Order: sequence, then C-alpha cells, then structure tokens
Amino acid sequence: MPILKAENVSFSYDKKTEVLKDVSLEVKRGEYIAIIGHNGSGKSTLARLFNALIVPDFGKVYIDGLDTSIKDNQFKIRENVGVVFQNPDNQLVASIVVDDVAFGPENLGLSREEIGNRIDFALKAVGMESFRKASPERLSGGQKQRIAIAGVLALKPQILVLDESTSMLDPEGRREVLNVVKKLNKENGVTVIAITHYMEEVVDADRVIVVNDGEVAMSGTPEEIFKQKQTLKSYGLELPLASYIAEKLREKGVDIPQTILTEKQLSEALCKLKQKS
Amino acid sequence: MREVSFGQYYPSHSFVHKMDARVKILAVIAYIVAVFLVKPFYFLGFSACLAFVIIATAVAKIPFLKVLKSMKAIIFFIVLSAVLQLFFNSQGTPLWENGFITDAGLYNAIFIVLRITLIVLGASLLTLTTSPVEIADGIESLLYPLKFIKFPVHEFALIMSIALRFIPTLLDETDRIIKAQKARGADFESGNIFKRAKALIPVLIPLLISSFRRADELADAMDARCYSGSKNRTKYKKMKFSYRDLIGVIFTAGLIVGVVMLNGVLGVVV
Amino acid sequence: MQIKAEELKFVYGKGSSVSSHALNGVNLLVEEGEFYGIIGKTGSGKSTFIQHINGLLKVQKESGKIVVGEFDLTDKKCNFKNLRKKVGMVFQYPEYQLFAETVFDDVAFGIKNFMPETSSEHTTELVQQALELVGLDYDQIKDKSPFELSGGQKRRVAIAGVIVTKPEVLVLDEPVAGLDPKGKREFLTLLHSLNKSFVKTVIIVSHDMNVISENCTKVAVFKDGKVVLEGSPEQVYGGNDIIEVGLSKPVTQNLIDDLNKVGVKIDSGLSVESFTDSIARVFGGRK
Repeated sequence: MPILKAENVSFSYDKKTEVLKDVSLEVKRGEYIAIIGHNGSGKSTLARLFNALIVPDFGKVYIDGLDTSIKDNQFKIRENVGVVFQNPDNQLVASIVVDDVAFGPENLGLSREEIGNRIDFALKAVGMESFRKASPERLSGGQKQRIAIAGVLALKPQILVLDESTSMLDPEGRREVLNVVKKLNKENGVTVIAITHYMEEVVDADRVIVVNDGEVAMSGTPEEIFKQKQTLKSYGLELPLASYIAEKLREKGVDIPQTILTEKQLSEALCKLKQKS
Repeated sequence: MREVSFGQYYPSHSFVHKMDARVKILAVIAYIVAVFLVKPFYFLGFSACLAFVIIATAVAKIPFLKVLKSMKAIIFFIVLSAVLQLFFNSQGTPLWENGFITDAGLYNAIFIVLRITLIVLGASLLTLTTSPVEIADGIESLLYPLKFIKFPVHEFALIMSIALRFIPTLLDETDRIIKAQKARGADFESGNIFKRAKALIPVLIPLLISSFRRADELADAMDARCYSGSKNRTKYKKMKFSYRDLIGVIFTAGLIVGVVMLNGVLGVVV
Repeated sequence: MQIKAEELKFVYGKGSSVSSHALNGVNLLVEEGEFYGIIGKTGSGKSTFIQHINGLLKVQKESGKIVVGEFDLTDKKCNFKNLRKKVGMVFQYPEYQLFAETVFDDVAFGIKNFMPETSSEHTTELVQQALELVGLDYDQIKDKSPFELSGGQKRRVAIAGVIVTKPEVLVLDEPVAGLDPKGKREFLTLLHSLNKSFVKTVIIVSHDMNVISENCTKVAVFKDGKVVLEGSPEQVYGGNDIIEVGLSKPVTQNLIDDLNKVGVKIDSGLSVESFTDSIARVFGGRK
C-alpha cells in the first residue's frame, strides 16, 4: 500500500478557479519525492492537502490508508504527516527552543516523560541538542528551520513535507536543512516530499513530480525529467545549472552526454574529453 | 541584524533569579499591598519597604543603578503628581503667609512620590530578575485555579507566549519597513503631529498586512502540529518550589508584619 | 556617481552592553557604470554597508567616511533627501512594502516625497514610464490594488516605485530571493536593461555565486565587517581566498579549476556563454 495516495483531486480556494485539477499521485514508503513547479502552479496547495489542512473538493487523499476528508482521521493524519513551511519565523510558537519542540507532543497529550524523550530525539535528529535553552531570535535562518523540523519530528511522523522550506535561507542554511532531511530519509526511513523551485535540490530525489497549472504534468527520475528540456521550459522551469551548461556545450558541438545533472558529473565528462583528445 | 533587547531582564544566576516566578509575582503583589498599607505620613513604614527593595536588589546581584534606571520612564508621571499635590491641595495651613502651598500639600506630595517610586522599584525588581517567558509561565500557573470558573487559562497563556515570541520579529520588521519607505523619500521627522501621523500610514499598512500573513501562517503551522485547543493537552514544563522560595515567602511576610506594626505602634513620625 | 568608502566603521547599540561591531573599516570604491556584486556570509556586514550608501544608517563619529557622488555623508549639511533621490534602495522582499490602494499611487509615492512640485501630468508620465520599464502593462495594472497581484508582479511594482524618480544608483539586497527560475532570469534581464537606462550603477547583494559571476562586472567580498577581496569575478573566484572566507565558487569556476588540474588551461570569463565558448574552442566543437 502506498503511504500517500491522491485520487483525482481537485481543489479551489474561491470555488471559481481551480488550483488543482484532477491530480492523482502515489508515494511509496521511504521514498524521497521532489515536487517542482513555477510560482502559483499549485504545488504548495498539495502540501496543505497532504496533512488535511484543507480537504479536496473532489477526489480523495489517503495517508497510510486514512481518508483526509473524514474529520475523525485528521488528528491522526497530522501526527503522521509533518509539514515544514517556508518562513522559519512564522512557525515557531515559543520563545525558547525546548518549549517550541514540546508544543506538538503536548498537543498529543503525552506524558511528561515521553515528551522529554521526544524532545531529546527530535533535537538530536536535527543536530540542535546544544540549543535547548536558546531563543529563536538569536538563531540563524537555517537553525530556526531545523528547530521547525524538530518541532514536527517530535510528533514522530512517517512523512515529512517541506513546503519551500529552504527558499528563505542562505546557502549555508539550505545545506544544513537538506543534510538533515536526507539523513532522516536514509537513516530513519522517513518518507520525504520536498516542494521546491531550486533545481539543484531535485537531482538527488528518487522521483520528481512536475506540477503545472494545477495538474501533474510530468513524473519520473531526475534524469528522465531533465532530459525533456523544452517541455520543462514550457512549464516555466529550467534545468539545473550543470545540465544547462552541458546543454549549451552540446549546442556548440562539444561531445557531452545527455544525462548530466550535477557539477560533479559535468566535471568528470569534461575531464574525460581531455583523455580522449 | 539589529540587536533587539526586549524587556529589561538582567540575566544572572543569583538567588532571586533562581526563585520560582510564581513566588516572585506573589511577593511583588504582597509588597505593593504593603506599600499601600503604609498610612499617610507614617514614613517609617516606607523605610521598611525601601529596606526590602535594597536587600532584594543586593541578593539579586543587580547594580542598584539599573533598578533606579527603571524610574526614567515614569519620571514625568511622578513629577506631575507631585506638582498637582503641591499646588492644588487646599487643605492644611499655608507654609508661608499668603502662599498657596500648604503643609498638607507638601506632605501629600512627598508621600505620593515615595509611594509611586517604591512601587516601581519593586515591580522592576521582578522584571529585572525574571524573563518575560518565566513571568508568562508564572501567571499561567497562578491563574490555573480560574479554570474551574471556565476562564480560558490555556488560551490566555498561549496568547502571552506567542506575543512574546513575535514582538522582536515585528520590531525588526517595523524597522525594515521604515527604512524602505525612508529610501523612497518618506519623512517621519518633520511637520506637525498630524503630518507625522499621516506619514506613518505607509509603515502601518504593510506592517498590518504582514502581521495578518504571519498570523495565518502560524495558525497553519499550529494546526499542522496537531493543535486543537486545551482539550487533552499536557504540559511539559513544570515549575518547582524550592527552599529559596520558602525564604522569599518568609521575607515578604516579614515585610507585611513590619509595616503593620510600624503603622500601629509608632504613630505619626512627622 | 562614484561611491567611495574609507575606513568605514559601524557599531550597533553603541555604548550599550550588547554592542556589536558590524563594520570594521570598509574600504571600497564603486565606479559609475559598474554592475557591482557584494557577497559574504550572513552577518558579514553587507546589509549594514549598503544602508550607508543612501544614509539610512548615518556614519558614526570618528568612524571613517563615505562619499557618494557630490554627497559627503559625514558632512553635517549633507542633504539626505537629495541623496536618496539619486540612490534607489531595494530591500529584500520589497513586495512587502507596498501600501497604497492602487499600483499607481504606490509607484507615485516617491514622486510625492522627492518632487512635490511635479504636475499631475508629469507624474502620470513618470509612473507610466517606470511601470513599463519593469515590464508591466500600465493601462492594465495602474488601477489595481497592489495586493491582488502575483508575487512576481508585486516585486516589479515595488521596483517601479523605487526607479520612478530616476535614481542614478540602484542598490538591491537579495533581489532574486524567493523567485522561481524563470522569474529569476527575467528579473536579472530587467536589471541589465535598467543599467542601460538612467540607472548608471547597479549594486546587488546576493548569496548566489552563480548569479554574481554571471552578471557582475566587479565583486567585493565582505568578512567580519571588512572587504577582504575585491576585483573582477575572475579575480575574486580564481584563487582559493574565496574558499577561506567560507564562500563557494560558481559552477563555471569549479569546472575551470577541475580542468586545470588535469592540465587543460581554460582562459575564459565566468559567464556560461564565455565558458562554453572557450570549452568549444579547446575541445574542437563548432564555433
């Protein structure tokens, strides 16, 4: 059974323009999925559908078999799907790190001891154990976002949804957050759904889903997706910079393979050319 | 980034800092009651209160000047009350012939200045030794019994906590918007009061809109973390009552007894 | 207008117990006509520095000097209003500063402040020009509420509100943050086209080394409140000093370095166009 399943989902905020049209997709347990699309493509609406902040107008979303549109399921679903949002400043509720991480488990009504265990676990998972007593204002953007991740991890979710969670961070902060998320996926088996418009963050995903004008336009491995340059362009998206440079080189007659996604691959391909000549 | 120092908390590891916030809040309330218990013109009562503040400040290891600084904000208010008493008190006998300042006016003025000063000194001792978060937690815990008369203690506490969390963020944001509008030629410093008030519109509207946006996003983030009101909710943080608090209670009780005794036993000093 | 900072220092919370040194003696010269990049880690003093350029932060006592064109900012008689008219400043996420009921009023805000004598016809003309320069359709957008626009449009309106008074220098803090790839590319194109109009000098602060190397004619690197490296992108990214500062190199520079290690010398600029041309020359592609 897929851990997340959307069946013919349509949604509109104002009952006039549909933000999502007949979207169907499945996510397997432990997968690392990237969802890309231009601003306003409807990709952020997906995040809100996945943890029952909103429910589909038509169609269904199932989380681990539970229908999100049934009210009694929603608490369980939110416990199971942790969402980290874009602005780190707007998702922390307390002025002390440990109080903030405690917020979720407190909502679950857990015992003090269990809350304490979960705080330890969550802060350790994001590498922020030494900041228990810190005040969020004194932290960098990347650190704040790691606290936000800890805040949802304390609920012990199986799915972690990142709704453009790196877009307001500097490169250092972005790296910190991505490393934490990758580790959670690899070591703790957390299913990750990363919504982003940084193409560089997409190349390591198991699968990429392209959303355009409220529809799932493409789905496949990063290699499969970035091969289709023209189609991507028509959706207002671009290639990762390394792929773009490789593309340019091919246009100029340099013999570079089509599959290049990362700087490392491009560098190796170029060095190989030297050996040939 | 601008360093936002918010509140006047003076971090330290002193005896008073380590006391339970609830005890400190109650002690300050008791202290304020004691100040009010001092009958007019029984100035010795005030000296007991002053001694209380001085001892507490010393134990808290706070520079006395820091405590006095908290007076700065209300100095105008103090002077105003003194002036009103001095010039508009018609009771008592004039201090000199045909003068309009009476002896009762003078006593009243001194009395009121002392009363306000002592209250402010005591209250700022609380805010200097207790962080805003601790105060909020203390108030929540003290209000807890009100739950039984359906007072929304939990919601009240959450509002306090979120306010504390967002004040520095909003201060930063205000600063940024002011600068951005200044860069577009906005002038907040010249013109009469109406002109200046009008000049604030380009700051207040973006600030308001962004606050709503933040509130929206925060509500989503809270929902996403399973927030559903106070029902079935547990609390991680626990406040602990220690031997320090007992000493604080005894000390405060001593003050009240002292003031009452001074009121009754010694009679008018002046 | 030339911008020249000498030994510029700045301390936040001066005199208090929580003071922090944001600038520790910045020396920098930005000539007219540059597309200038300022880079550095968060907290290195970039933002503090650019706020000095139009006097939003005043030079503190005995803290060096900064001269912008004919304006000496340390001079007590410096006319900051005139200075700000000449130096446009775009903060991060400028769309959050919009406030007026209509796009027109918002864009016209600067005219009202800087040139209160302007006739309404001339105001209309200037607003129209500004909106068209940023690539928006004047007739379609002028009466709309700025709050009902898309994110990208809002940002353009905000920029229009800054360039409406025709500043000679335009300073932008993280101008492409939060934009999607297409929006980002369009926005940079817009900056270049502005640079060919009345805006003589563009200064951008960015964390994105690829954006800097692709677009800037010169780069200054900030660290601990000082400029530690300065020059053309090729000079700044060519050596290893940039790594020691804790920043990364743009992709093209990394590739040039890698090829250099295996004995292929690439002599090219860091823009993708220049880089791919050089590679094509070396590895016998079509020219």
